[in-house]
This record gives sequence, C-alpha cells and structure tokens, in this order.
Amino acid sequence: MPEQPSSGNHGPDTGNEGMNRRSFLRTSAVLASGLAALAASLAPLRELKDYTSAERFFQKYYKELTPEEMAKILNRIENEVEQQYGVRPHVRDLKPMDGVEFVYAHNLTRCIGCRKCVHACVAENNQSRNPEIQYIRVLRLPHGSLDLEKAEHFYAPSSVPEEGYFYMPVQCQQCKNPPCVKVCPVHATWQETDGITVIDYDWCIGCRYCEAACPYWARRFNFTQPSIPKDKINPDMAYLGNRPRRQGVMEKCHFCIQRTRVGRYPACVEVCPAGARKFGNILDPKSEVSYILRTKRVFIQLKEELGTSPRFFYYFDV
Amino acid sequence: MSSQTKTSLTLAGLVVIFSALAAAFLLNLWGRPAPLYPIPLVDTNFLDTATVRRSYADLARAGEDLSDFDCYACHEKGKPPTLRYDTNQNLIIPKEHSDIVMQHGSHGRNNNCFNCHDENNLTLLQTRDGHEVTFANSQMLCGSCHGPTLRDWQAGAHGRTSGYWTNTFSSAFSNAPEASAHAGTNGYWERSTVPAGREICVNCHNPHSPKFPGRKPAPGPHPLRAVTRLALAEEGSH
Repeated sequence: MPEQPSSGNHGPDTGNEGMNRRSFLRTSAVLASGLAALAASLAPLRELKDYTSAERFFQKYYKELTPEEMAKILNRIENEVEQQYGVRPHVRDLKPMDGVEFVYAHNLTRCIGCRKCVHACVAENNQSRNPEIQYIRVLRLPHGSLDLEKAEHFYAPSSVPEEGYFYMPVQCQQCKNPPCVKVCPVHATWQETDGITVIDYDWCIGCRYCEAACPYWARRFNFTQPSIPKDKINPDMAYLGNRPRRQGVMEKCHFCIQRTRVGRYPACVEVCPAGARKFGNILDPKSEVSYILRTKRVFIQLKEELGTSPRFFYYFDV
Repeated sequence: MSSQTKTSLTLAGLVVIFSALAAAFLLNLWGRPAPLYPIPLVDTNFLDTATVRRSYADLARAGEDLSDFDCYACHEKGKPPTLRYDTNQNLIIPKEHSDIVMQHGSHGRNNNCFNCHDENNLTLLQTRDGHEVTFANSQMLCGSCHGPTLRDWQAGAHGRTSGYWTNTFSSAFSNAPEASAHAGTNGYWERSTVPAGREICVNCHNPHSPKFPGRKPAPGPHPLRAVTRLALAEEGSH
C-alpha cells in the first residue's frame, strides 16, 4: 500500500513541464493529507504491542526454562503489569512441594449459597470484571435430587439459604485424568505433581479445545481484553496463577496456586462464612481432607462416571 | 487526460479511501466492541473474611469492651438469679437481657439459662454433669451435648479454619517471602490480627439461637443477553 502514494509522487516529478508553484503546493497538500490518512488507518497496528512483544514471542516452553530465563520473564511480567495497571506486582514462579497432593472437599450440608467464594476468587485471581470471568458457579438444586438439569445459576432471593434447596458450587475439579490436558495441541496446560492442572498463559494459542473437553464447564476464555480496575489488582502473583491474562487465552481455577504453594488456604476457603469449604493435603493423614474422606459421607465426585477422577469431593454431614 | 490530472485523481482517490479507513477505525466500526452492559463492581462487604459473630475470646484478644460479660456489675454474688416462666413454661426474658432470643433446641425445651450458665458463678459456664467451663473455652460446653460435631470440629471437618493448610510451615517455607507478599496485598483476606487456628462455635453460632443466620447472597453471574433466563427458570420450577 505505501508504494502507491510514493509512485504517485513520481508523476509530477517525471512529467515536470507543467511544474509550477501552484501545482507543487496542490500535490503536496493532497500527498500530505493522504499520508496522514494512511497513518491514521494503520493506527490499529499500534495496539499490536499489547498482544505480543519480541521477548514473549521468542519465549521458550515453561518446562524448558532455566532459572535465569524465568527470572527475566518474571521481571518482564512485572514491568508489563506495572505499565498497564500502575501497580508493581510481586510475581513468583512457585514449584509444587514434595509429598503434597491437594484435595478439595465441599460440605453440601453447610453451604448456604451466598456466593462469597465467587467474588473472593475474582478479587484474588485478578479476573476480568467486565466481561465477567468467574471460576466458581454456584448451582441451586432442589432438595431430593442431584439432577443438574434442575440447577439454577441466577437465583437472587433476599436471603439464602432458601427453604427446599441446596447449593453446589462447581469449579475446576483438578481431575486426576484431565480431558482438557489431553486435547491441548500445544501442551500449554498440564498437571503438576501436587495435582493442580495449570495453564501457561504465554504458551496458550486460544484454540479452546480444552473448554470443549471439560465436562465441568470450568474453563474460561478471554474473548476480549480483560478489564480490571487498577485499584482492584492483587499484586501477589504467580506465573502459573493469577498474573493478568491477555485477550485470547484460556484460564481457570488453579486452587489459588500463589497462596496454596506457600501454605495458605485458597481465597474461597478463607472467605466461606459457613465453613463448608475444606482444603488440604491428602497425603498427610492428619489433614482435614484426609479425615473427611475417611470418615464422612463423601458421596460424589461430580460426573464420576466419566472417569475423570476429580480431586474435588462433595460430602454431607451426619 | 494529462498525467498530472491522472495523478491528482489517483491521489484524491487514495486520500478518500484512507480517510474513510481512518474514520472507520476512529469510530470503531469493526474494531473491538464496547462492553454491551456495564457490570457494577461487587460490594466489598462480600469479600470480608470476618466470622459471623465475635466471641468473648475475640473481644478479649482485641482488647475491646467486655462490660457485657461483667455479670456482677448488676447481679449479686452468691445469690443465684431466679428464672420466671409464663403459663406455657416459656422463659420470660428480663428486659435487661432483651437482646437475647431463646431458640436453642426445638419446641422451647431448652428454656433454662442454667442448662449452660453456672448459677453460682455467672462468669462461668457449666456442663450438665457439673463441670465448670470458662467463656474462653466454651466449645467444650457445646461439645458436651453435640459430641459428633465437636469431634468433627476438632478434626477440622466442621467449622472455619484460618491460617495455613500445612502445619509444617517453617521447614517448607523458610525462604518463602510471606511477610513481603502479605504486605503488598490489598488486605482482602489478611487476618493478621487473628492467629492461625479454628474458629470456635460461638464465632459463627449464637449460643442462644444457634441456627446459622441467613444472609443476602452476592450478585450472581451477569445474565447479559439471557435476561429472560431467570424468568423462564422460575416458571419451570413451579
């Protein structure tokens, strides 16, 4: 495209018999406005740097990175976040701990359906506020059945719990046999040794195969640039966890990797007012979840028949 | 047509095309669509990690007003208060304690203050078999009737836990910059004033009316275009 205006520029130069002050000015004016319009029309290309940078483009696969390269990448991410949100985050690359396998247990008797976990998760994990990306969906089910066809997302009574209903939050089940990992064509998502299925947001190509493969509707796609108010950024970040995502990548619950891998509880556990959410290390026989799985009526892994073997268990009291 | 006119025409044409393109981009004709619906930010109250109630132990730890627990400011020592009942054997709650709603146990059967309070020393509690329990240790009183719940609570299966999921924190995380990480956060979950441990019964349950209180749910997912979805669902459920 740029050749055309410049070849047009040659016209008056070569056939210059008629060249005078007036035609020169006229041609220059037309040319100048044309170039300005060209520049303006190419303006969207300026946004290209929001999508990729040379460093990110040539970044190696997560599992092949040396510690030095990772340090550089973390620094790059901190710079990018600071530039975009005006907050200097603390980004870490946390590794799984030895002898730890995370398991989640959810008490259906105690859950009151208040959805505090949903919003705690959004705040902790720097999820987009508009469009909304939420990792946890709280389903309201009528007593006496577990028919997901009767589940309701949009309940909005003045007070919960409601008579005749129980509530079942669904989030990533961190399957032992995860279908999402199998379908990923670029190995951008994989299962870590502590049981968390993670996503490398810099390696994801956004094909959404994993979203289609997940039987729990746990994966979320960034169809647009996520929007997070600057004062709502949580600066405690992890590379595989809650660092801000960009348009065109997948994300999902990662058991708050930035918290759990340093020993803290996930945000949803900490905020639950009813104590319905339990989290811990299943390899530790003294942990809460070990006790629950040993002694309580743990009745389901959701969609057990699919053979995904979730690490998320629902149980009842009594 | 002279070459100059031709040139001018070409240039003018190009100017028009590029101006149109520039205008189209400026007006965002096929660019990123603006968000269709403004979604309000969630009320930060829904992010609060505090428990439903505050126990005597919490108040004492925070150094707050404990005058509510100063029984002998009004009562006389060594003289057990008398309880009065109406004709239906319902406890008449004196107006000094009008904030108390007695709904512990069904059918109003648990209508005796001294089922739990010690009539001889109002600053203490007592189990039914006569063991004295302090206010700070009240879970043992609750557990004297609710045994299985106490067992679950002690194992961590009932109730809220704060702190860390691992007990062997120091060895695994000696190099974890927890302190700095905490300092930088917005304080959503930080409970630095509350040490790690289990919340006791009365942090969530009012002992006089222990049913867990209902509350307003946080807003659900924004339905966007599916605004009729809820209406349809409500219709279907009836």
